[in-house]
Amino acid sequence: MSDSHSSSAPSVPGGNEPRKMVIGLSTAEDYDARRQAAVLGNEDDDDEMPTEPMELNMGPSHPSTHGTVRIVLTVEGETVTDADVQIGYLHRAFEKESEHATYTQVFPYTDRLNYVSPMLNNVGYALAVEKLLGIVDDVPERAQYIRVIVGELARIADHLTATAAGSMELGAMTIYFYAIKAREWIWEILEEISGARMTHSYVRVGGVAYDLHPDIPSKIRTLMPKIQMALHDVKELLFENRIFRDRMDGIGVFSQEQALSYGWTGVSLRSTGVPYDVRKDHPYLVYDRFDFSVPVGTTGDNFDRFILRIEEITQSMRILNQAFDQMPEGPVVVDDPRIILPPKQAVYNTIESMIAHFKIIVDGVKVPPGEIYSYTEAGNGELGFYIVSDGTGRPYRLRCRPPCFMITSALREMIVGHGIADIVPTFDMMNMIGGECDR
Amino acid sequence: MSDTTPLKPETSGPAAPPAAAPTTDVTLKIDGKSVTVPKGTNVLEAAKVAGIEISYFCYHPGLSSPAVCRQCLVGVKGQPKLVPSCYTPVAPDMEVTTDSDQVLTARQQMLEFTLVNHPVDCPICDKSGECSLQKQFDDWDGGASRTDVPKREKPKHVDLGPTIVLDAERCILCTRCIRVCDEIAHSHQLTMSIRGDRQQISTAPGQTLDNPYSLNTVDVCPVGALTAKDFRFTMRAWELEKVDSVCPGCATGCNTEVHFSKGRIYRLIPRENLAVNKYWMCDEGRFTYHAVRKDRHAIATLRGEPAAVDKALAAASDRLAAVLQSAGPGVVGVVLNAQATNEDNYALAKLATALGIERFYLAGRAPRPERQDDILMHADVNPNTTGARAIVEALAPGKAKGGAQLGSDILSGSIKAIIALDDTLELDDDTRAAYGRLDLLVTLTSYTTGLTEHSHVALPIPLWAEVDGTFTNVKGLVQRVRKALEPAGDSRPAWEMLRELGKRLNAALPFPTVKMLFKDMTATVPAFTGAQFGRDSLPVLLRFAGSRG
Repeated sequence: MSDSHSSSAPSVPGGNEPRKMVIGLSTAEDYDARRQAAVLGNEDDDDEMPTEPMELNMGPSHPSTHGTVRIVLTVEGETVTDADVQIGYLHRAFEKESEHATYTQVFPYTDRLNYVSPMLNNVGYALAVEKLLGIVDDVPERAQYIRVIVGELARIADHLTATAAGSMELGAMTIYFYAIKAREWIWEILEEISGARMTHSYVRVGGVAYDLHPDIPSKIRTLMPKIQMALHDVKELLFENRIFRDRMDGIGVFSQEQALSYGWTGVSLRSTGVPYDVRKDHPYLVYDRFDFSVPVGTTGDNFDRFILRIEEITQSMRILNQAFDQMPEGPVVVDDPRIILPPKQAVYNTIESMIAHFKIIVDGVKVPPGEIYSYTEAGNGELGFYIVSDGTGRPYRLRCRPPCFMITSALREMIVGHGIADIVPTFDMMNMIGGECDR
Repeated sequence: MSDTTPLKPETSGPAAPPAAAPTTDVTLKIDGKSVTVPKGTNVLEAAKVAGIEISYFCYHPGLSSPAVCRQCLVGVKGQPKLVPSCYTPVAPDMEVTTDSDQVLTARQQMLEFTLVNHPVDCPICDKSGECSLQKQFDDWDGGASRTDVPKREKPKHVDLGPTIVLDAERCILCTRCIRVCDEIAHSHQLTMSIRGDRQQISTAPGQTLDNPYSLNTVDVCPVGALTAKDFRFTMRAWELEKVDSVCPGCATGCNTEVHFSKGRIYRLIPRENLAVNKYWMCDEGRFTYHAVRKDRHAIATLRGEPAAVDKALAAASDRLAAVLQSAGPGVVGVVLNAQATNEDNYALAKLATALGIERFYLAGRAPRPERQDDILMHADVNPNTTGARAIVEALAPGKAKGGAQLGSDILSGSIKAIIALDDTLELDDDTRAAYGRLDLLVTLTSYTTGLTEHSHVALPIPLWAEVDGTFTNVKGLVQRVRKALEPAGDSRPAWEMLRELGKRLNAALPFPTVKMLFKDMTATVPAFTGAQFGRDSLPVLLRFAGSRG
């Protein structure tokens, strides 16, 4: 850790030692006394020039916080003595809106949760509804593999975005281009699969909207080495880079206890050394059939979170390769006319399918009364959906547990006492996504 | 559900069976559940009591059971064949099964059979979204079609009468409409013709479907075979919102649902209330909603010139104060109206009492004896005659005079000023001329017709569909109307206008809300003792109200 860090902030000690800076000392009287002492020459020589506490707005629209969040900082010099993290700028009443939409109509809303990896939200939500319907095991295998494939692609895109934006906001523009170019390749594939570049709405209750084109697996397979190359470039450019390492290593350190007490999950929790990954610990879909490992960090600092994302991309590619090998042929939706829309040919020509179509569209898929919590591993951690059904075609109550809400809630604790410049990498590596956090 | 008080509580139970007067109770088992119902109840109704759903098309609780649709078949222990539950009376120790494989298969097969010749019309059918056939198929079958033969073609557009069009292809031959005409309207205007798969509904020879209750056939039609000319092709049913209300058409006070969307009413349909209208209402009542958008007086006027409501109120109170000052309350009269709600009438009567006014007139539309029948229609075409009369009797016993008296009192010069609740007084020429002699005529009105043109001050008030209030029907039941639309233009409820007027005349009416006014009224007017205002409820989108089928 960083002796070298002293250049950016006035008094940053090494490791986890308590900082010299004491919060609350800086009253106006205190400032006056210290300034007087300095002018009169009574001050010890090695004491710094006293500074006046200042309130500073960071955000809500700030070029180096990729996410619409407002942080009201109290700074003394370069040191943050207090921070008021204000979220909610992207609040769209997702949960309330969902109460007025049929179960199928909620999918486009979930696209807009973590808008960098909409497929993972689609999958998470679909699994929750299917759990409530009791058809989790009836979803055809091919559909489950397709969900894994699109989900892992989305995870790669998500991690690439976080690493790219994180490096760019520390000044490494080149990295941004390398990683975002790779993300664009993935989004092109996802566009080919779903028809939409970002807001896919590809998954359905009971399966997926349409089958993969036969070319898709080979396209992804040829793409993977190119992504590996991009990752290689990123690593080569950054890992030995003194400026980058100085701003990442030992900054934003969070202990296991703290992380668990805040309810952290995902990369952020794993960076503190807890190997919790929903795909491993509570396997869903067909994740128990894949050989992949869950990388964990050692120090819980920003660099751990950065490098874990790079490593998870590699693991996701391992899963993709195995999924292509194992994926069977077959249908991609459950065989249940009350859940899945009948084929258009039948809808236009037979009254039975017409009625089924009409009822699913107008009334929605009827879900038996009950309540369920279903959770999956999304880009930032455990994405949970808690659904209460009253037996009608729309949720009586839908609650979303966004992983980065819990992570963002720790931001104040992580930046107070550090320099202003440390906010940027810390905030970047927790990867707060406004759409998900604010819902 | 019902707003009728005190005879019927807020939450009404399932419909009473249309059976002979029960003498004893019978206990039977349905799907293992023990249920006790009055003797003579049919199995279908008994199952409803037990909370068990049985599908049906032809049965209707307000009609006889012909058991023609075969959709409600259930198993009865000891009987080898399934029996129609709508036609089978309960018997002691009967054991009924509604969920056995045999029953469910029969149900599915009947649905499949019913759909064989049903056209693929849902996208263009007015019944979509509130169709029994859609609902039952979705609830009990849901399978794909197995037929590969062409469907039987029948006439798509048969004009049955002035109000209704028949699409014979959609008809599932349940005969509900025939029974409504026979049993409710007592006019045999519909019948079955031809046989086999060509069978269809038609008017009886030499008849058209023109009885005054004809549109009930559209309500009971489980599919979109019968559609109302008034409603068809105007709105998708599931996009309508509903509030519970009461028909303003006559003194019977049939309970209704107002179906509206975006500030416009699309139809009124009857709401079940066994104490008043059972399941029905007359065609004339259904069309009362048209008046909500016609000839509306939506801004205040001073001698015919538009004015702000505040300015109009100030003018009214100034001139009224001057009259009261110079000539005393003896020359001032108030006109209550049988068209207005209890609340508006009560507010006016209360204001009059506070100002010392002793001349009360009770106006309303002229009765139309020719429409009286022994079914639902009443000669008195005012919804609130009983209520207005009860209010005058309570606040000014023995002082109420008829609307006709008003004209002669003006002509004789015994009154100089009038405050009138007026929803179109029908005037003769003499009376019309007499209004010119008044020093002051303040009217609170919804329409530009009637007294409005003769008024010094005309204040706009909302109609029945735009306010919360109550009507008292001919049986003395106080029934609630609910606000469906925003009041037109500048209009504000009459009781609010009168409250403002009272404030300016130092005769405060202490009612911040209509509910408190109602409470005060029930304490003051003996006829309303025990009446409840009922809960407030938001409009429900029919899409989310469950299938109406």
